[in-house]
Amino acid sequence: MLKYQKCLEELVGVDINEEKFKWHGCKLSACVGDHLYPRELDLIITLYQGSVLEKDCRLVGFDMVTCIELIEHFDSEDLAKFPEVVFGYMSPAMIVISTPNSDFNSLFPYSDFRDLDHKFEWSRMEFQTWALDVANRYNYSVEFTGVGEPPSGAEDVGYCTQIGIFHRKAQATEPDISEQQGQHVYQVAYTTSYPSLQQIKYRRRVVVYETYREVHRMRRKYKMGLTWCELEADPEDSDNPRRKFTSDLPSPQPLKEAEKSTEMTPKPFCIGDKFYVPLERIIAYPKVKHLCGNVEELRALIADAVELNCSGSAVQVDLDHYADC
Amino acid sequence: MSGRARARARGRARSPSAAEVGRLHASPSPPSVGLGDSEVSSSSGPVGTSRISQKYGISAGDAGCTFKERGGKLRRDFVDLAVCTREKMAHVRNCKKGSSGIPVKLVTNLFNLDLPQDWQLYQYHVTYNPDIESRRLRIALLYNHRELSNKAKAFDGVILFLSQKLEDKVTELSSETRRGETVKMTITLTRELPASSPVCIQVFNIIFKKILKRLSMYQIGRNFYNPSEPVEIPQHKLSLWPGFAVSVSYFERSLLFSADVSYKVLRNETVLEFMTDLCHKTGMSCFTQTCEKQLIGVIVLTRYNNKTYRINDIDWSVKPTHTFQKRDGTEITYVDYYKQQYDITLSDLNQPVLVSLLKSKRNDDTEVRMAHLIPELCFLTGLPSQATTDFQLMKAVAEETRLNPLGRQQRLARLADDIQRNKDARFELETWGLHFGCQMSLTGRVLPSEKIILQDHVCQPASAADWSRDMRTCKILSAQSLNKWLIICSSRAERVMESFLNCLRKVGSPMGFHVEYPKIIKVQENAAAFVHAIQKHVDPEVQLVMCILPSQKNYYDCIKKYLSSDCPVPSQCVLAQTLNKQGMMMSVATKIAMQMTCKLGGELWAVEIPLKSLMVVGIDVCKDACSKGMVVVGFVASINPRITRWFSRCILQRAATDIADCLKVFMIGALNKWHKHNHDVPARIIVYRDGVGDGQLKTLMEYEVPQLLSSVTEASSNTSPRLSVIVVRKRCLSRFLTESGRTVQNPPLGTIVDSEATRPEWYDFYLVSQAACRGTVSPTYYNVIYDDNGLKPDHMQRLTFKLCHLYYNWPGLISVPAPCQYAHKLTFLVAQSIHKEPNLELASSLFYL
Repeated sequence: MLKYQKCLEELVGVDINEEKFKWHGCKLSACVGDHLYPRELDLIITLYQGSVLEKDCRLVGFDMVTCIELIEHFDSEDLAKFPEVVFGYMSPAMIVISTPNSDFNSLFPYSDFRDLDHKFEWSRMEFQTWALDVANRYNYSVEFTGVGEPPSGAEDVGYCTQIGIFHRKAQATEPDISEQQGQHVYQVAYTTSYPSLQQIKYRRRVVVYETYREVHRMRRKYKMGLTWCELEADPEDSDNPRRKFTSDLPSPQPLKEAEKSTEMTPKPFCIGDKFYVPLERIIAYPKVKHLCGNVEELRALIADAVELNCSGSAVQVDLDHYADC
Repeated sequence: MSGRARARARGRARSPSAAEVGRLHASPSPPSVGLGDSEVSSSSGPVGTSRISQKYGISAGDAGCTFKERGGKLRRDFVDLAVCTREKMAHVRNCKKGSSGIPVKLVTNLFNLDLPQDWQLYQYHVTYNPDIESRRLRIALLYNHRELSNKAKAFDGVILFLSQKLEDKVTELSSETRRGETVKMTITLTRELPASSPVCIQVFNIIFKKILKRLSMYQIGRNFYNPSEPVEIPQHKLSLWPGFAVSVSYFERSLLFSADVSYKVLRNETVLEFMTDLCHKTGMSCFTQTCEKQLIGVIVLTRYNNKTYRINDIDWSVKPTHTFQKRDGTEITYVDYYKQQYDITLSDLNQPVLVSLLKSKRNDDTEVRMAHLIPELCFLTGLPSQATTDFQLMKAVAEETRLNPLGRQQRLARLADDIQRNKDARFELETWGLHFGCQMSLTGRVLPSEKIILQDHVCQPASAADWSRDMRTCKILSAQSLNKWLIICSSRAERVMESFLNCLRKVGSPMGFHVEYPKIIKVQENAAAFVHAIQKHVDPEVQLVMCILPSQKNYYDCIKKYLSSDCPVPSQCVLAQTLNKQGMMMSVATKIAMQMTCKLGGELWAVEIPLKSLMVVGIDVCKDACSKGMVVVGFVASINPRITRWFSRCILQRAATDIADCLKVFMIGALNKWHKHNHDVPARIIVYRDGVGDGQLKTLMEYEVPQLLSSVTEASSNTSPRLSVIVVRKRCLSRFLTESGRTVQNPPLGTIVDSEATRPEWYDFYLVSQAACRGTVSPTYYNVIYDDNGLKPDHMQRLTFKLCHLYYNWPGLISVPAPCQYAHKLTFLVAQSIHKEPNLELASSLFYL
């Protein structure tokens, strides 16, 4: 689910068990739709096979590290090493650690640990003591929460799983030292890169398609001899759900803005059986504008794929196209 | 000849591109719901599996085992392989190879897959205690178990396949779920399968599916595509992803991997954009109907996951701001759901939702789940419905997708190289004990070329692909003179019509086709005026009506409809535009003169047919363009021993109806006709059956062949004709190329392949009978499923080749036997334009050319 977040640029997973990655890995790759509708930002997902108790310089410099249901699998020796690697070495701005809440276990019928591999299950008190101590040592602040509301009547046991959220108080050390002395201990088990608008290949593609879309739309309007307003208005019968569907642009507000800004630019025109749309008008559309800042960039992006007039200032298409009739 | 007719004729006869493009949109895929990495199902386990099998939607087939792809789709071409027809034909049991012709070395698109001599697949049945419903969990528990972690395996939640035998017949493993529950898994050996078993083939295909995914290819439908080098056609909003159609199966002698280049058409258009466009085009009044008509049945691809859905309905009353119930029972609006789940903000809050019915795998088939999809987040897939008539679009697509033999060969070589080099792919193959070998070469034969028999001349054409030059000065076999006929044209086209008429009369006389001066009727430029003029002026003496059309639209369909069924008179439509082409008049006139001769019942040319009393029949099936669920079945039979005159019938019926019933009626009609002309029944009948889909072979054997047989035996009291039935397939995965120096070329015309790339269980062969000017030729595949005639394979092959010379719409070889092409042309006309059964009076002329 994380891969759907627009703001993320790099996701990394570490697990000691490579077999697990092998058959989950391919689910992380971009889907067909990601190619047709590229993300705004790059996204690289990498899975490493390795132990979180070893330092690997590739994990330094992240904004956030999460350790979900991890620490309870450590024996005391490993648990002692763990903070140094995550808090001391990786030192991200934010760390999320979750672990079972043993107070909650009283509600379960069996008395064992929740997983045979668990070395311990902490009460809220034990976890918070450990967390506060670690946070102090590495200059983090910490707050506690959890997931899994207790059933009514047993509210005092707390969440099923307790979570500690750590924030780094200040930039502790510059991470650049790690760059030099860093080692690549982990094995890359899987890596994938998503198509995004940052990559010229995809940006060009999207710009070309947007250009064509706008040009075709303008040509159709030109041919129908209608103005913007007439097309978009649908005043009558707005109670009928079938009629409500106008769907031209998101909502009235951006339409007005788009309208205003496009009205300022040179109008499309027609010479013979060719229809021309000035690049300046195309770039007035917010979506195109967003993708390429100015006319020069737009021209450079679309020049290979779209026919321009001889001066390179307008897109040229046939006025009549079979599919329109 | 109308522009449409010409484009069709050329597309079919000259280049394989039509079929090539046809393949592009022919692979809609149902929503696939499978989640595991590798899933195999088989119903052939022990009795104990039946309960679980049912739960997982696996049905027992009567062939002993049925296989299911992920998503529950049967691989129908595998089902066909279970129909072993060859063993019933004694004369080909030992050898089905022909002998005539010059041997030619050919490169194929097949790769050897080697297995160790004693390789076996071990099938296990897995039960869980306590029982676990979730297939995901079942798979996860098994996969994570140490015991199996390093073994090659395929598992669907019930049945496990291993390439190495476990030590014990019954293995008990235990694992813990996340919640700490201990689960006991009992793995019981149920079968040991030899590599030749159909189950193994299924497993091999799953292995290659995995491998291609490792090579960063995407599975869409059954094929695999590479998104990193798409071909873009932005003016038509299309992206073409190059990829491969692959399969592993047993060919004549060994296990082979076959791969053919394929393209997936993806549209850079969401359903919402499509709707908006449509709304502007049609206006509000008929928008919803048009929209439903165009979108229902279409396959869409969602932006946020890799799933495809078929649109079953559009719910105009539901908006994205409405709520639905999530699986955990909470209510959420669609807008919030997509924001939370996928970080997608919907821009249009007034759009309706698309409804797709999901077939639930887990529960009984009776429970159908519905999925609501947001138009804005759904991409259209496949070529748009109006694309086939959009010449510009089809041309653009064809140009991008047509690969010459060398280009194709290079793509294949790269795929093979990738498979061999990729670490994961190699590891996967090795653990299963498979070795990916080299590209296979084989020896085919080039059949001797045929002589073309004209009225007083026999010519050996310079090129069998086109003998129009060779027959330029020759008289055709027979032609009725055209004495009373009409030309209908608009006044604008009058001048061009006059000069065309002169030309027509000029080219007609050396051919032996006498053309009288027609009655000329000038009308206004609208379809109704044309039809009205026809109604007014056609009387029983009129032999033919020619219409000079200002454009294709409307005119053609109206005129053909009226003159083919209401008032049966042969008709010839010509686009005014075609006549305006400078310097083309003579060749256009020649072609039209030939078509007109055929429509009047004339014969153009013949080839030598050594069998004295042979009837050949072509059958094709075509979907009706207007009414979904209707198909047109065409039947064309020769009615003279020379195979130059034809009897053509066709019928419209529900797609679900068996076509066997109408075949009997047609066959009896054809035999009566033959009897009328020859006062006898034919000694032999050979039926070429086109339009057979994957998985229909069994139906053919069980219903159609018996029906044909019974109509044949009823025809005569003493010796009844002997029957053969041959399935014709233009689309087959196999490709053959000849090596010449460093490059590869299309094989010569008349190349036959009847070994190695064929199937051991069938009496089959490949024939390359058409030339491809550009692109790579695709051979036509023939499977003789029934043969009473007992012709030698060599004679059967040569006869088939001869029949490819007899299509009168093209003076050259075509890709299928002429009767098949006639049947295709007839069904196409009916399905596209007439939508009614043509009048019986026209049955003995080729009125549909």
